[in-house]
Amino acid sequence: MAKMDKKWVILCTTAIGVIYSAGYLSTEEQAALQEPQHHINSNIQSVSSQVKSQYKNGTFDGAGSNRRGSIEVKVTINHDKITDVEISRFAMHYSKNDVVGLPQEVIQKQSAKVQNVSGATYSTQAFQDAIEAALTQARNV
Amino acid sequence: MSAQPWHKKPKSYVIISLAVILLIAALLSSDSKGIFNAIVAGITAVGMDWICFRLRKRKKWIPDGAVITGLIIALILSTATTWYIVAITATMAILSKHLLVYKNKPVFNPAVFGLLLSILCFQTGQSWWGAFGDLPAWTIGFLLVAGYAVTSRVNKFPQVFAFLSLYFLSLFLLGLIHVGGAADAFRPPFINASLFFALFMLTDPPTSPVSNKDQVVFGLLSAIVGVIIYSYFGGLMYLFIGLLISNAYHVIRSRTVSNIVYNSKRNPPISK
Repeated sequence: MAKMDKKWVILCTTAIGVIYSAGYLSTEEQAALQEPQHHINSNIQSVSSQVKSQYKNGTFDGAGSNRRGSIEVKVTINHDKITDVEISRFAMHYSKNDVVGLPQEVIQKQSAKVQNVSGATYSTQAFQDAIEAALTQARNV
Repeated sequence: MSAQPWHKKPKSYVIISLAVILLIAALLSSDSKGIFNAIVAGITAVGMDWICFRLRKRKKWIPDGAVITGLIIALILSTATTWYIVAITATMAILSKHLLVYKNKPVFNPAVFGLLLSILCFQTGQSWWGAFGDLPAWTIGFLLVAGYAVTSRVNKFPQVFAFLSLYFLSLFLLGLIHVGGAADAFRPPFINASLFFALFMLTDPPTSPVSNKDQVVFGLLSAIVGVIIYSYFGGLMYLFIGLLISNAYHVIRSRTVSNIVYNSKRNPPISK
């Protein structure tokens, strides 16, 4: 089989480059929209009257993302204690099963620092970032 | 008997290119675990390949193909993958190479088959770290230089160009109608995965066609199946499924063509 002529290789490469560029530019807006909005504060049930408490009472949203997708969580805090964690949106390109046990781990440890799930580093990182973002929202300034 | 020196053989080109990519990726990401995985995958693949060759009582054993399979597996599996999962993935890949055969050639690309099974059985995180998925976009240049050298050596440009053109065009159209996460596919790490896949996996000579026309059909089929699966299901398996379906199509077509040739030889047309 004869080798493809160099001119054809350059021509085809250029044509593919043009199609790729068109695709990249036409999806820029979508890519920006897919970035999760950080620091969304919602559903605060009540602002704690305890002046010295570390966190406000209520449910707080947090988001974490990386190149493999994003995770959004809802963290419920009551008297400085994490009482509930829910994954409200899972948009990673991996299986949700990888992180299904992590909310319970956060409640048990009362911390965002969960154990890294082997082979699911990106999902674990995004989850951890989401919890930290929610806790930042909840922090009493 | 080929008198070609080792470094000029097509498989040697692939091994050298993948080894260079492995070293660059490990160096730039400051993560040596990928090299450890490559050693585990390489040793397992070569060992299994040798055992299968002995069992099939074949005489000439060259470990090049198994080394390539091991390297590809290590470059795609996340560096955080446990060593025994890497070894099992390599084992499944080599077993498919020896068990699913047509005319003594593997039907499916072994690395792709092993990696797909690995996702299905163990939900392995496949990061495509060796395609520079976590590194700055300029590192894609390394991928293109090494990939073009390999594609040129194995003479698979029609296949690669057919795949990439339809793949990007379909995603572009999907992006226009806001369907199926097309935006992600044009950006790292997915663009890195697609280029690595097209240049190093689609081009595997034993599991892909030779003629230009068949190469184009093979590339187009891989692209369209891949894009359909990506737009409906997302995830990371879409490229693998596209290629495995094209591998199967290639074997079915080879069988059909050889049957037609066989029948025409047995029943030659009556000449007037």
